[in-house]
Amino acid sequence: MRRLFLLVFLSIGSVLLLSAQYQDRFKITWIEPGSGATLPEFDAFDSTDGTIGVLNASGPINTEGHPFFTALGTNGRACVNCHQPTYGMSVSTSGLIERWRTTDGKDPVFAGFDGSNCPGLPQEKENSHSLLLRRGLFRIPLSWPPKNADGSPKPVEFTIEVVRDPTGCNTSPQYGLKSADPTISVYRRPRPVANLKYVLSGGRSIVLKTGMLADVDPETGNPVSMNLMTDAREPSLKTQAVSAIMGHEQAQVAPSSPQIQKIVEYESQVYVAQQAHIFGGPLAEAGGPPGLGVAALRDHRAGVLGDNESDPVFGLFSAWKGNDYYRASVARGADIFMFRQFWLRDAAHINSIGLGNPLKRTCATCHNAQMTGQDLSAGWVDVGTTNYPTWTEPSAESSELPVFKITCNRDADPHPYLGRVIYTTDPGRALISGRCVDVGSIVMQQLRGLAARAPYFANGSAKTLREVVDFYDRRFDMKLADQEKEDLINFLGAL
Amino acid sequence: MRGFGLFLLGAIVALGQQRNFVSCPIVRDTKTVPCFLAEYEGETYYLGIQQDITSDFHPPQLKHEVLVEGRVAPGPRVCGGIPLQPVSISVLKEVNLACSTLLPAEPGLDAPPAPRGPGPSSRRPEGGSEARSAPREPLTGQQEFTVLYSFNDDYLEYGGNQVVTEAAAYAKRIGASNVKVSGYRATSVLSNGDRLIEKAGLAEKRVQNIATLLRGLGLSSLTVESKKEAEPGDGQTDPSRRRVTIVVTP
Repeated sequence: MRRLFLLVFLSIGSVLLLSAQYQDRFKITWIEPGSGATLPEFDAFDSTDGTIGVLNASGPINTEGHPFFTALGTNGRACVNCHQPTYGMSVSTSGLIERWRTTDGKDPVFAGFDGSNCPGLPQEKENSHSLLLRRGLFRIPLSWPPKNADGSPKPVEFTIEVVRDPTGCNTSPQYGLKSADPTISVYRRPRPVANLKYVLSGGRSIVLKTGMLADVDPETGNPVSMNLMTDAREPSLKTQAVSAIMGHEQAQVAPSSPQIQKIVEYESQVYVAQQAHIFGGPLAEAGGPPGLGVAALRDHRAGVLGDNESDPVFGLFSAWKGNDYYRASVARGADIFMFRQFWLRDAAHINSIGLGNPLKRTCATCHNAQMTGQDLSAGWVDVGTTNYPTWTEPSAESSELPVFKITCNRDADPHPYLGRVIYTTDPGRALISGRCVDVGSIVMQQLRGLAARAPYFANGSAKTLREVVDFYDRRFDMKLADQEKEDLINFLGAL
Repeated sequence: MRGFGLFLLGAIVALGQQRNFVSCPIVRDTKTVPCFLAEYEGETYYLGIQQDITSDFHPPQLKHEVLVEGRVAPGPRVCGGIPLQPVSISVLKEVNLACSTLLPAEPGLDAPPAPRGPGPSSRRPEGGSEARSAPREPLTGQQEFTVLYSFNDDYLEYGGNQVVTEAAAYAKRIGASNVKVSGYRATSVLSNGDRLIEKAGLAEKRVQNIATLLRGLGLSSLTVESKKEAEPGDGQTDPSRRRVTIVVTP
């Protein structure tokens, strides 16, 4: 009993000690557009169970007049509104809720255009921003049918109907599918603007998963990775920045080339990773796992496929296979991620590309790119988060998200596992490609800095990493034991 | 003993025979990787094991019927099935929920050695198409490159991707005077005498896809044609006629 008391006392003591140690240095801050602050080369912020590190590899950043930190449009927003260093260069619901309270909902992040469920709703009401405040979701209005670069409509393989519209936007005469400018509104999380050399690497002329030409960078003509954004609709950081400024910032004048260049330069040098854990202490240390911490991300080569035997996706964790409870748990989690086999089934663009269905493999089969765990190939996959029946919503009737009915044309290839009629909360890549096989396919996200930017999945349905792990456990019948779940969560949280 | 003799006789008679049929695939778990099987007229055939996308064998899929076109190969049963080699696998597009058989691992039913482990690997599997094509004499003169397809499919698999890339690189290297791209659709004759004909318009779709890829890879002048009628089948070499050919002339 005395030993137990001593253990508890020591644990609480070390927590207090670490908290005190971090109290002065680590903080939560919200950067407002035009604040003029200078960001240090390295900064760290509180995250779940520890601290998140943010590294500006090119040195301190003067934000005064910097286009990433300056409102360039008409709604007062800058890029930084939705890509805050504090939240791993994305934004979390806890931060958004705090911001709503602090500003009484006046912060430009809540701009009616896409920071509310629909622009036509009364913007002063908190409930009009429920998807942003509860799930961290911004409205993404996409033209239907999708358009080619010259503005002509792309051929599409399916029809789309709105069968449930809790936000009112998809059936709105002004903003909806039957408006003068037919538009589908889907709701998605902002992706972290960090570690982007990894996100952009791996472009090949022919996309492995589709057998079609990859999109090309309009400036260089080179094929791009198609791993940028939830649906890969933008080929490069430059085109993404222009699109975001004209859309999210509601600019009426296109940004200048020097402004875009400066945004891209900033985005290309910022790295984010979990840096310390409240029990584990600093995660990046000599002799420790080589893939942890922001410096490792800065220094590692991009575009490398993990090797399951010698050089895994996030490096070897063998140094932590000791008696320290937290570190041993992380090391076991890394092994589960790499080696714990399960039946991977009915995932379009994984099972359907010649690998077979089902496939007895591991998490790292799909999350295979070193350092970020994205897919090295253009990584859109229907893992089942948005399509019935595996979707994350409790039911169609109670879904907070819109529900669409997709009906595939008779001469098109159907969705490989759902056939010709699909119910979905977000058709994903299919809204860009117009292809039935792409319905519900979402570009895989990077797995770094997760602890700072809950909720998870593109639709913000998982409030915690536990809910992420539970989804996969259910979806693929992994039969994970509680200890295995805890190990996986600790591992993911350390990234 | 008499039963075993009949079984042996049957096996000898069957050896070398073509088996072309449509059925639901069966997945058999093992201690290592799963085996993929299919049943036809009361017999179980072994098709292959789970491999890599770079492999020549792409397994079938549960939730889909599969067109199997293979030749009975010598040797013992594998994973409980008579091996077919060579074998062509075509996953039929429409979903069929009845195709759902996943059998547990059983003692004595082992998969052949798998060339790779459970996670990703930067090492190419031994014997993969890239490994075989690596050391080769440089091409010269007129060359024909052939992209093969699964039945009723225009999806370019990994192997076809390599062929197109190689054809484009060759044409650019020699400054080809003409690149002729021809698309075909074909007929498959099943062992029960039924004939499956690929859908109309598929030859055109295949050839246009390949032409788009070749243009994207830097070839500007192409001659593109497609054959409207389906190629006849013979029940022996049908998979080889589901194709696009790229003829590069210096």
